Amino acid sequence: MSRTWIIVTEEKPVAALAAAARALGKTVAAVVVGPRALADAAALAGPDEVTWIDAGQDRGVEAFAAPVAGLIAGDAPKAVLAGASPESRVLAGRVAATMSASLVPGVLSLSMAEDRIVMDRSGLDGRVIETLEAAGPVVAIYAGDDIPAATERSGAGAAVTPLVAEGVADIVIEKTEPAAGADAGITKAQVVVSVGRGLRKKEDLSIIRDLASAVGGEIGCSMPVADDLGWVEKDRYVGRSGQHIAPRLYIAVGIQGAPQHLEGIRGARIVVGINNDPEAPIFKASDYGIVGDLYEVVPALLTALCN
Amino acid sequence: MKTVIVYKWARNPEDAAVRADGTVDWRNARMTAGEDDFAALEAARAIAPEGELIGLTIGDGDASWALARGVLQAVAVTDAAPLADNAATAAIIAAAIRRIGGVDAVVIGDSEEYSGVPVALAGLLGWPAVAHATSAEAAGGRIRVVRKQGRNDQTISLATPAVISIAAASPEKKVPGMKELLAARKRPITRQTLADIDAAGPDGVTTKGTRLPDGAAARLFDGDPANAARQLVAALRDEGVL
Repeated sequence: MSRTWIIVTEEKPVAALAAAARALGKTVAAVVVGPRALADAAALAGPDEVTWIDAGQDRGVEAFAAPVAGLIAGDAPKAVLAGASPESRVLAGRVAATMSASLVPGVLSLSMAEDRIVMDRSGLDGRVIETLEAAGPVVAIYAGDDIPAATERSGAGAAVTPLVAEGVADIVIEKTEPAAGADAGITKAQVVVSVGRGLRKKEDLSIIRDLASAVGGEIGCSMPVADDLGWVEKDRYVGRSGQHIAPRLYIAVGIQGAPQHLEGIRGARIVVGINNDPEAPIFKASDYGIVGDLYEVVPALLTALCN
Repeated sequence: MKTVIVYKWARNPEDAAVRADGTVDWRNARMTAGEDDFAALEAARAIAPEGELIGLTIGDGDASWALARGVLQAVAVTDAAPLADNAATAAIIAAAIRRIGGVDAVVIGDSEEYSGVPVALAGLLGWPAVAHATSAEAAGGRIRVVRKQGRNDQTISLATPAVISIAAASPEKKVPGMKELLAARKRPITRQTLADIDAAGPDGVTTKGTRLPDGAAARLFDGDPANAARQLVAALRDEGVL
């Protein structure tokens, strides 16, 4: 029986990758690139077999793309799954090229229909679920959340087989240092109130500060507010290339909800959108929302919070 | 360092309308500059001097985008269509890069919707790659990039040839004016077809339809702001987040 492979470069989402691979009804084999501890953790998260490549300290994980591709392509699997991290994606790209496989990002689940792989993927910035069918082998970049590892497997993980990699690329990590703003309160805050272009002038930030203060939160902002307007410090910009935060409450005030902003708040537990445009994408990503003018809604919230 | 900046290689998801039944209407959406294309161009410029920078676009978008932003020459693969298989799209770009020849670095935006394209491109070329970098520069015959990883900035050095995908850290600051647009018209665009570059690969993936995501939409409070605010605060207190 051929295997379904998963590519692991970090602890999450290994259990979800293994479960999604198992849905195809085959042996699940993992290739882990990273430290031994990662391989051991992956072995407990659901795969039947683990091949471990020690990435060492200085090499980028991406340097091992060719040996990972050689290993997996040699097994000629029908499907391969990888996480969506940049490192995993680079490995997945090389695997797809080596196998002459299709490559599909944003995949949430896979199934078999006769001998074809059928995938549901999140498309158009999460606005639709698209069902796709691959005629040949497919490499899927998994975009779902992680799940707890299956309990029956806990304590009896898969065997870990080390592999000495050959054909390692010249990709060297020169240094790793805390990103600017990594210590900004926003990254650790339990409550964040962010403001976007709905704010008319810098002076009006005072009402956002008042709201943040009333809910015991930190101030954040969308990219234009920090970058174009310079109204809020850049280390408080929330988004794909800014801060990725996971507060228990995120209140987006006057923020439209561009995809790159939403990427920064994926870890938030409860999202509240406040916007005068009922069609603003922020509401699609929100648990609660108020459609209205922030200049009326924020003072009303301050009053309601006092009561 | 001969560098190719790949731009306007996909349709912008924001150009697609999603109907109430979950079907998608792309209307007449063309290949457009993605939100990371400008940042990718900036990074490419930091790697290569003006004379060594070549623009590459695929599909039916306006190829002058890069030429209006200081790139002196561009290649357009005009009959490339949007494909569901990211590896198939990458194969077209890879074929065009091979046809350009002697390329040391390829820089491309790291689009989330099509996040398989830059990495499949690297795989097909067989070149080292780093994805999701925020900046790049040439350094001693190599390429040095900075990437955000969790709460750290990682500085990574790669041998060439290499593929770098760039995530924008800020939007484009200054859109070209009439002067730049007119200058762009005088710059050469080499137009090619898929047949010219031997890139008629099939789309290995077919779409079977789209639907709206499951899950409840946001609970919206509207009408009188005071009333809406009271309801929201009550709901957040019930959730235990206030």
